[in-house]
Amino acid sequence: MQQDFQPVNQPNPFEKIVEFVDERVGLKTIQAKMLNEPIPGGSRWAYAFGSVLLFIFILQVVTGILLMFYYVPSTDHAYDSTQYIIHEVDYGWFLLSYHFWGSSAMVVMVFAHMSQVFLWGAYKKPRELIWLVGLALFGIVMGFGFTGYLLPWDQRAYWATVVGVEIMDKTPIVGDFMARFLKGGPTPGQMTLSRFFVIHVMVLPAALAGLAGLHIFLFRKAGPAGPFRGTPEEIKAKTDYFFPRQIWKDIVAMASVFLIICSLAFIEPVVLLQQATPDPGDYHPEPEWYFLFLFQLLRLKMFGGEFGQFLGAIAIPGAFMAFLAALPFIDTNPERNLFKRPIALVGWTVIMVFILIFTVSAIINRDFLH
Amino acid sequence: MSRIKLGLLIFWPTFWTGFPIKMVFCLLLLAAHMPPWKGAGLFLLLLVSIPIDIWALGLCARTVFIDRLKVDSQPGIGMGLWLRWAVFSAIALPLMKIIVSATTGVAKSVTSSIVHAIKDGIYNIPVAEQISLELVMWGSVSTGVLILCLLGWLYGLGWLTQSFVNNAKSLDGTEEERANFWDSLRIPADQPLLLTAFTGAGVVLVFVFWALLPSTTPHPHEEYEFISKGLKEVKVEPQQVLKEAEKVLAKAELVVKKLEEEKGGESKDSKAEKAKEPAAKEAEPDKK
Repeated sequence: MQQDFQPVNQPNPFEKIVEFVDERVGLKTIQAKMLNEPIPGGSRWAYAFGSVLLFIFILQVVTGILLMFYYVPSTDHAYDSTQYIIHEVDYGWFLLSYHFWGSSAMVVMVFAHMSQVFLWGAYKKPRELIWLVGLALFGIVMGFGFTGYLLPWDQRAYWATVVGVEIMDKTPIVGDFMARFLKGGPTPGQMTLSRFFVIHVMVLPAALAGLAGLHIFLFRKAGPAGPFRGTPEEIKAKTDYFFPRQIWKDIVAMASVFLIICSLAFIEPVVLLQQATPDPGDYHPEPEWYFLFLFQLLRLKMFGGEFGQFLGAIAIPGAFMAFLAALPFIDTNPERNLFKRPIALVGWTVIMVFILIFTVSAIINRDFLH
Repeated sequence: MSRIKLGLLIFWPTFWTGFPIKMVFCLLLLAAHMPPWKGAGLFLLLLVSIPIDIWALGLCARTVFIDRLKVDSQPGIGMGLWLRWAVFSAIALPLMKIIVSATTGVAKSVTSSIVHAIKDGIYNIPVAEQISLELVMWGSVSTGVLILCLLGWLYGLGWLTQSFVNNAKSLDGTEEERANFWDSLRIPADQPLLLTAFTGAGVVLVFVFWALLPSTTPHPHEEYEFISKGLKEVKVEPQQVLKEAEKVLAKAELVVKKLEEEKGGESKDSKAEKAKEPAAKEAEPDKK
């Protein structure tokens, strides 16, 4: 008797492994949920900022851990160990420079992400909590920059911290406590370095991971806001799925940012100044570039004197942050179209121009100091 | 659709689509000590950019045609558009640079004279205020001229694209149907396969990058003394080491002998002196 043999597709070893993991983890369900998520109104380049931020943070963690293998957080060894990383450790110079520029990229991306959410009106009901958690994340990213800046323990690091802590000291009620807590003594020393190090590598990463998880959870719960123009029918008709168009944009954005950071690490690598001393000598203290606009603002005559410094360094930035936190509860108009919200559009433009002018002014001002 | 919008809609995604690929090449050039902004590095970058731009322009233009204009272009749109855009930009961009630089130069000098006239005659403006004031004055003029130039350039790109739109065949169907049609033409349906291919390409590039990357910093600190350079490799020859050790021991033996002799001499002298001391002491009371 003749038998018909039907060819049977036997799974290969790789497919068997995937099947094994899928049965236990639910890989295919996760993949379907992640990649087939609908995007109302279609994919946009502007939606890539959040994914890029997560990507930069992961790489900051990886490079930070690698740097910690060599860095010694003591005033006797911080400078030498950083110099050792730059000069002696294989590829150490690149890892440190990548970490340095990665922190700047995080600030830029947080700023871009917040601007996009603001301009799209995506902070409005029912997304108020996403906005508030996002603001806290913005504060954490700034905290990373501030605490990480001291760690190399060179003149730039030391004096930027001195200026930063002095500004913090001007805050009413909590300022004195905060400044004393961070410094741990009358002048920056071992206690300051230890505290900044612990905050930088333990407290802030844990806080950021937790809040970023909450941010993403709230975002998934509320769903994407979609474009600010078009009727619900038009937006529904244009709905895309995460794969392939949005994931392509995300990959391109992540690759671009990664490559820009790598190129900056190459072209402008970290070079330390002299080891930190309580005497500034010829060095003119200056904060990180993203605080330069505020630093330049404090040089204006109207912000001179004790009260003026308090106004420029604490009262105005504090009031602005409080306004941003209250924004979803003040602006209850459901209108999201940017071109029908002239105050938002003009306000955002004015702030951007202000930051740009004062940052460039601070750079020009360097020529007047020598 | 206006020509400026058409130009922008195609140029913007084209730039971002080609950008990471060019950046990969830039990074590999940097790792190989060839700056991509001058000399051979720049030449290689421009050479590699040509096929990348042709591909990206074709891809993005066709996406805009199908998604936004409801038409499908003739084959070879990437090459056709690139030739026109490249020739136009080769003339327009240097011209824009000349116009913006000249305007900025004039605006800076006029601003400086106005501010100095105010400082000399009316009010002594402090340095920080002067910097920001001058920046706002010449910056506004330069930005205005730059924006006008950019709009003119985008209008030109849109105008050059218009004939391709006119010659394209119209498409039927809803927006979603058109998007699916275009996606099915260029994207594999197998999601994990595509993502694995991307990851694989990334891994290969990472290996190439690390292979080219210098392990020590190309910008060493002036005052840094390399620990690894201080350690010189010493070749050890046991016979030579033993001979050297014997010499050292022989020298040491001589030194010890000499010291013992000196000590022996000193002790004899001191004994004789000590013997004299009691006799002297005995003579003392008589003096009293």
